[in-house]
Amino acid sequence: MTTDNSESESFEAFKNSFSYGSRTDLNFKFLKHLPAEDAARFFQDLLWKLGKTLDDADATPLIDHVREWQSRGYAHFTGFTYDDGPFTPLARPLSQSRLTLLTSTGHFVAGHDPEPFGVKEMTQEEAIARIGDFLKAAPDLSPIPFNTPPDQLRVRHGGYDIRGVQADPAVALPLAPLRELQQDGTIGSLTDTAYSFVGATAQTRLLTQSGPAWVDMLRPQEVDAALLVPV
Amino acid sequence: MSVGHVARLLEEAGIATVIVAVEAFRARLESMAVPRLLVTPHPMGRPLGPPGDHARHREVLRAALELLERGERSGTVVG
Repeated sequence: MTTDNSESESFEAFKNSFSYGSRTDLNFKFLKHLPAEDAARFFQDLLWKLGKTLDDADATPLIDHVREWQSRGYAHFTGFTYDDGPFTPLARPLSQSRLTLLTSTGHFVAGHDPEPFGVKEMTQEEAIARIGDFLKAAPDLSPIPFNTPPDQLRVRHGGYDIRGVQADPAVALPLAPLRELQQDGTIGSLTDTAYSFVGATAQTRLLTQSGPAWVDMLRPQEVDAALLVPV
Repeated sequence: MSVGHVARLLEEAGIATVIVAVEAFRARLESMAVPRLLVTPHPMGRPLGPPGDHARHREVLRAALELLERGERSGTVVG
C-alpha cells in the first residue's frame, strides 16, 4: 500500500474546513475552535450514535450530541466582558405591558430586502461567502409586522444554518406564538412590528451608532419590554 | 454578542429585556452581564425548539416572560 502523505489533508485542515472553508456547514463551524483530539472525539461519538440510530431510528441522541458539542465549542468564547450592566425592572404586570420582539436572525419581509452592500436578491450562499464584509458593516434593522404571513417572510444570514427558521419561523422569530399570548391576555399589547437584523455585524458600530438609533426609534412606541433572540 | 449589546442599550433606556438563547451562547452573554437570560437546550439556530413543535415554543416563551416579571436579575435554563 502506498500513500502520498504530501497530498493528504491533515485532520486539522479537515475539521477547520467546516468553518467558511471547502466544507462550510454552519452547524459545525465550532469544530474550528476545538483542539484536534476533541474534534476527533466528536466525530467518533457521532458515528457511534449514528450506528445506534440505524437500529432504533431515534435521532434524539444525535441532536443532543450536536447541541452538547456546539456548547463545548463556544464554552470559552467571550468577546465583550462587563462586570455589571444596566437593569430595568418591568414597570407593570406583563398583562398590562407593551412588548416588542427583536431578533438577530436576519429576517425581512418580501419586497423589503435590505439589500446589503447594494446587492439585489443576495442568496444565502453569497451571504456566507461575504461574512467578512458583514462583520465590518453596520447592521440594518428590518421591521416585520406581527401579522406577516409566513410565506411573506424572508431570511438570509451568513452566520447560522437557516433551515430551521425556514421550516418554521417560530423557532427563532415567534411572531404567531406572541400574537396568541397577546390574544389570551398574557401580554398586554405588542408593538405593530417586530424587528430583525443580521447579528453577524460590526460590534462597535452596533454599540455606538445603530443600537442607539434603534432605541430612539422604539422610545416613542412606549415599549415596556423586549424579547430578544440571538441565533 | 450583538444581542447582548442591544439588551444593554435597551435596559439603559428603561426597557426591560429578556434574552432567549441556546446553551452555546451562554458564556458570551453571561460575560456581558445581561440582566435576564433564558438558556434553552436546543441546537444553534433553533432557540425556541424544533420546527413545528408549537407547544414547546409556547413553553419557552412562557418561561422567558416569567423571567421578565420576576423583578430581579435572573438567568435560568428550561429543560
